[in-house]
Amino acid sequence: MIAILQWTTLAVCGLLAAARVPSAVRGQNRSLFGIFVLMTFALALSIDVGYTALDSFLGGHNVANLLLRFVIYGAVMLAGYRIAKGFDSARSVWFIVGPIGMAVLAAVSVATVVPFLMANTAGTSTGLTHLPDQSPHNTDLIRLYTVAGRFYPSYVAACLLPPILGVLKRRILPRVVRAGAAMLLVGAVAMIVLSLSDMLPRSLAYLQYVISSTAVLGLAVGLALIWVGRVRAARKPLRR
Amino acid sequence: MPLPAKAFQLWLHRVAPSASTADICRISGIKRTTLAQQLVRGKVAETTLVSISRALDLSPLTELASFDHYAELGAPPQPPTPAELVSQVATMDLLRAVISRSSPAYGGYGDSDSASMRALSPAPHATSVRNWVDAIDDGELRHRVSAASGVAPQNYSAQLTANRLSPELVVATARAAGVGFTGGLVATGLITEDEAGWVPGAKQSALDALSDGELAALAGERLQALGKSLRRHEHEQAQTEKIWENLG
Repeated sequence: MIAILQWTTLAVCGLLAAARVPSAVRGQNRSLFGIFVLMTFALALSIDVGYTALDSFLGGHNVANLLLRFVIYGAVMLAGYRIAKGFDSARSVWFIVGPIGMAVLAAVSVATVVPFLMANTAGTSTGLTHLPDQSPHNTDLIRLYTVAGRFYPSYVAACLLPPILGVLKRRILPRVVRAGAAMLLVGAVAMIVLSLSDMLPRSLAYLQYVISSTAVLGLAVGLALIWVGRVRAARKPLRR
Repeated sequence: MPLPAKAFQLWLHRVAPSASTADICRISGIKRTTLAQQLVRGKVAETTLVSISRALDLSPLTELASFDHYAELGAPPQPPTPAELVSQVATMDLLRAVISRSSPAYGGYGDSDSASMRALSPAPHATSVRNWVDAIDDGELRHRVSAASGVAPQNYSAQLTANRLSPELVVATARAAGVGFTGGLVATGLITEDEAGWVPGAKQSALDALSDGELAALAGERLQALGKSLRRHEHEQAQTEKIWENLG
């Protein structure tokens, strides 16, 4: 069940990235292509096959997971910056790429790298869920590492909530664009919920996969819908 | 409130006993699916009745009055006030009148060729509904309409901004303001000035009766409102452009 969900999400992002290739070749908004590629790469690393392949190449110490974290940070920052800018919220742009945003990213990066280096991460394990070293000290470090990794996306998602809600209220916009904003809202809320999901009882841990897939799909489909809106708007002039 | 389907069908049978639904749709230009949907829902739009009346060479106003809740339209129509007539002059026509009056031919200081005046364009115009309500508003009108009809003031305002008003609210507004019903029905485009029984040239004479000062002040108000709505539109356009630029 979880595998189907993950593969579907990967397929959707991969197709969107592929569909963006012509525009990227034309030099049209390459960052959107970049976002889709980074997301596809991150999803490929969240699946056993992709993760095991890359990690064994990198030496089997789960460096691939560290790489995955930074790919996610990059994708989230790029998407957050573009969405905040597109939805005309100077405040959110400032919170994402301004001094505060950079400070948050730096702190999160430190909180990601340091526990990772301190922990014993030998033995490839997707998502670091089944590391051979299960000593309490090691699990605590890994837990800190995971929390930091989920914090940054939820920070950016929280910054995006006001502009997304603002766009949803603007009736003049094409319906597709507002549907896209609604999907972005779903994705953003899922990202925030994901960072709180560690409080879930262990028996419900599988829900985390559902939530993270919702977050990724919300972001990808939301961006794709807005893109559809642009394509449609180019065909017929904006209604007056 | 739209017309009840049952009463509408009785009416249709009375005015066009031999015509089939298909015939009616063909001569009146209403899509068959539209009419069918209105009949199924049990609510027929007033515009449907007006289109059919026109196609059958009947007076839309009289036919509308044959329905119970529009019975007051049947009384001899009270003519529109001069303010209502002027409110139905399009903003650009109003500005042309300002320019025309400034011509030396009328003792003004403008260009000599500005005296020419085109015929006024027929109502409704781009902001005719709001201008009509403004023309008959004594300051409390919206409250009274809202109290009498149960429609929330913000919904009423939203309709005015969109330059429309349901026929039911037109009647309620005219009643609350104590003016005739035709002004609003013309302003909303439900019926034409002719169908309302307005004297040809009534708008022009009402416009001519304005003093230069009144005309200039009115034109100024209209320009200000136009500027505001254009600015809002430009702002929205700019925001949309921004979305395309960053996320398209």
